[in-house]
Amino acid sequence: MKAETQLQNPYEPEPMRLIRRYPLNEDVHFFQVRAVDMEKALSLNYLPGQFMMISINGIGEAPFSISSTPSRPGLLEFGIRKVGNMTNRIFQLKENGIFGVRGPYGNGFPIEKIKGNDLVIIMGGLGAVPLRSLLLYALDNRDQFGKIYLLHGARTPDEMLFRNEFFNMMKRDDLFCHLTVDQDDTGQWPFETGVVTRLFGKLAHIDPKNTYFAVCGPPVMYKFVVAEILKLNVPKHQILMTLERRMKCGVGKCGHCIIGGYIYTCLEGPVFSYWDVLHMKGLI
Amino acid sequence: MRAVKIKKENLFDFLEAIKPFGDLWGPVKSGDGYVLEKVTDYSNIEMSALRTRIPFKKLLFPPKFTMFKFDEKGIRSSDEELPRQVIFGLHPCDLHALLIMDNFHSLHYVDPYYRERRERTAVIGLSCFPDDRCFCKATNTHYTEKGFDLFLTDLGDFYILWIGSSLGDDMVRECPELVDEEVTHDDLEKYIAWRKKRESNFKLKLDFTGMPSIMELSYDSPLWDELGEKCLSCGACTIVCPTCPCFNVIDEVDIGGGTGERTRRWDSCMFREYSMVAGGHNFREARSERLKLRFTHKLQAFVGAFGEAACVGCGRCIGACPVDIDIQTVAQNLKGEEVKA
Amino acid sequence: MSQEKKSVGLYGFTGCNGDQLVIIHSEDQLLPFFDSANIKSFSLAKSDNDNSELDLAFVEGSISSQEQAEHVKAIRERTRYLVAIGNCACYGGIQAMELGAKGWDQRFRKVYGDGFFINRTPIESKPIDVFVNVDFYLPGCPIDARQFFYCFAHFLQDDEPVFPDYPVCAECRWRENDCLLLKGELCLGPLTAAGCGARCPSHNLTCLGCWGPMKEANIGAEFNLLKEKDYSLEEIKRRFRMHTGSGMMKPLKKLLGAL
Repeated sequence: MKAETQLQNPYEPEPMRLIRRYPLNEDVHFFQVRAVDMEKALSLNYLPGQFMMISINGIGEAPFSISSTPSRPGLLEFGIRKVGNMTNRIFQLKENGIFGVRGPYGNGFPIEKIKGNDLVIIMGGLGAVPLRSLLLYALDNRDQFGKIYLLHGARTPDEMLFRNEFFNMMKRDDLFCHLTVDQDDTGQWPFETGVVTRLFGKLAHIDPKNTYFAVCGPPVMYKFVVAEILKLNVPKHQILMTLERRMKCGVGKCGHCIIGGYIYTCLEGPVFSYWDVLHMKGLI
Repeated sequence: MRAVKIKKENLFDFLEAIKPFGDLWGPVKSGDGYVLEKVTDYSNIEMSALRTRIPFKKLLFPPKFTMFKFDEKGIRSSDEELPRQVIFGLHPCDLHALLIMDNFHSLHYVDPYYRERRERTAVIGLSCFPDDRCFCKATNTHYTEKGFDLFLTDLGDFYILWIGSSLGDDMVRECPELVDEEVTHDDLEKYIAWRKKRESNFKLKLDFTGMPSIMELSYDSPLWDELGEKCLSCGACTIVCPTCPCFNVIDEVDIGGGTGERTRRWDSCMFREYSMVAGGHNFREARSERLKLRFTHKLQAFVGAFGEAACVGCGRCIGACPVDIDIQTVAQNLKGEEVKA
Repeated sequence: MSQEKKSVGLYGFTGCNGDQLVIIHSEDQLLPFFDSANIKSFSLAKSDNDNSELDLAFVEGSISSQEQAEHVKAIRERTRYLVAIGNCACYGGIQAMELGAKGWDQRFRKVYGDGFFINRTPIESKPIDVFVNVDFYLPGCPIDARQFFYCFAHFLQDDEPVFPDYPVCAECRWRENDCLLLKGELCLGPLTAAGCGARCPSHNLTCLGCWGPMKEANIGAEFNLLKEKDYSLEEIKRRFRMHTGSGMMKPLKKLLGAL
């Protein structure tokens, strides 16, 4: 919501109901929520790559990437890792519990620019959460995109998020889906092993000028993945990544997410291109 | 803008007449310096005060305030009506900072807490004579035609009273008998002479020309590490800065946990936890990184984003820092000039 | 949230009991305080104290005898969380001023002679984390009531209390005081964890460091600054160890070793 149309206090969260939750792995859980006010639930619009501020009274607020797609309106989905007070409290919530959510915030992926091009989505670990939104959006609007690739890396089979969902995607014929784990102690893993960059061999015939890359994963992943993408001669502004920062407001005021002096991640991010990374210092 | 005159002996009567516009806040003496305080005895106002320790920002976004309260049923916004206020004695540097803050708080999203207070605030500016810490001439903020409802230029036995808004005009209409509508050629000459005298009195000569480029080239300068060694991360520089609006949000709960309030408090990019995310990763662990952020923001990045520096040359950070890390020493250091601390 | 009330105990070792007194003095909070938890032990406030299992123990005071050491270990055994409250428990307090300096036996004999103690084997006074694992430190001399009840409310909800890491200086600036350090006085504001609201500097008295060091205390920079202001090493050391025996002296010694 921009200044000219803003009516209500942007800092006051909207009551939302937890519809269902289940574990994605040992410390990441899936949370499906809906605005208590049904009209608001259905009219809530957002872009893949945007985030919401989740509020727990008595603890505070923190930003969380949206994992659902706006092409399936009504329900919002998050994948949340338990790391501190805030997420401990979120993990205490039970189905039908009410809590506060406000947003969406951030720029999101430039969907309109990506449309008509091929799309390669590269996710590692928790990076699957925001990129799942983009992936589902592209699959729900399949005719508007060229070839779609998913390269997914997890540390171990047990740590992999959205396992069944992505396993099922292997069967789709409108998606090139490649899954890998760094290491498999179970001996049961049916797909690739090794770091996610190993999967680049599957991208033999991409057309660099007409392909967008979307990358999200642990900080260490970016360096190696970007190096591989650059080898394919992909223009820097077509390499997109979504980044994490501390945030207290989400609306460009509190200052905590500032990068390079004046870039507020909550307004101009969290999706940045590799060109942004090169000229805005301190991004990754 | 419109200009009238007011005799000095009429000023207190004027301040009395505009009482209906709100509580009067002005600079008063406190220890070795000045603070903005609510004034009822006008003779306590220090007309020669150059800078209050903390600028006007404390009246528009207080160091700590309640955003809303909550209980088991949900959140409740405050229905308490804030008092109207008149801030007296802001100099051009602070008025420029006020314009920057007005712009910042309405950009992209309007901040309702700022707006609420700002809409209840009238501003009376006051001319000044620079001391050895003022460098508003270098930041080109030593004059202003905007940002005030009224502005007083001290020309000896009278003030030129500039009316900058319809609210200011309303204030003057409270007491038309106290002002003189007729500004003469003689007054103009006095005003021009005053300007010349004032401009020749700037002692601190800083040159910010090309600063963004110098900042860019200094990104890996060893200076940042040297400053990081010295910095006490006390946040004094950000607390006194009129264009530092960063805040933290902290929930206060009553025993039992069900009820409490969400509060907003001033934060500082000099504090360790400012860029720390859940799980403990800190995007600016080193003090040198935080100093770099602060000065890049003030001298380089803001120029790129808004076409002007976020520093208004008020001189508060010079003299606030126990270890002399301020805009002056940093700029001189980066430009390879002799540093006078 | 409808949970069973948590069991809480408050204990005092060597110190002035000032921290427990702060709690008792908070009349407006006492009813909710006793209402929200089962206060199993609080000898300064009630007589029916027991040694049952605890969710949360607050421990005040330093450890200055073998018996106290055993007692604090026993508390640790039967509590889930242990919170050190007050400067003595957190850093040893004034009685640990010479902590680590040699000659404790002689100093002790000088004061108490060669007499013996009934039920007590004195040792050099030390902060409690020398003996047991501490989950959370709530410093202060005495503690601040608001900080205590904030901390208490959080532990009741199984949340870790978070106190922002900034020094007394920040609170002092917010109060628009004259900076005593800039006036050349030996003020420990830049090193000391905030929480007191800059009480002393607001009365024109220098900060003695009674909240202990903040996490990021730049001991080296403060030391150099004080040297520049012509304070002797002795003067600086005396001030550093006054309230936080181990808290500020440890890093200072490390620094001096490096110099």
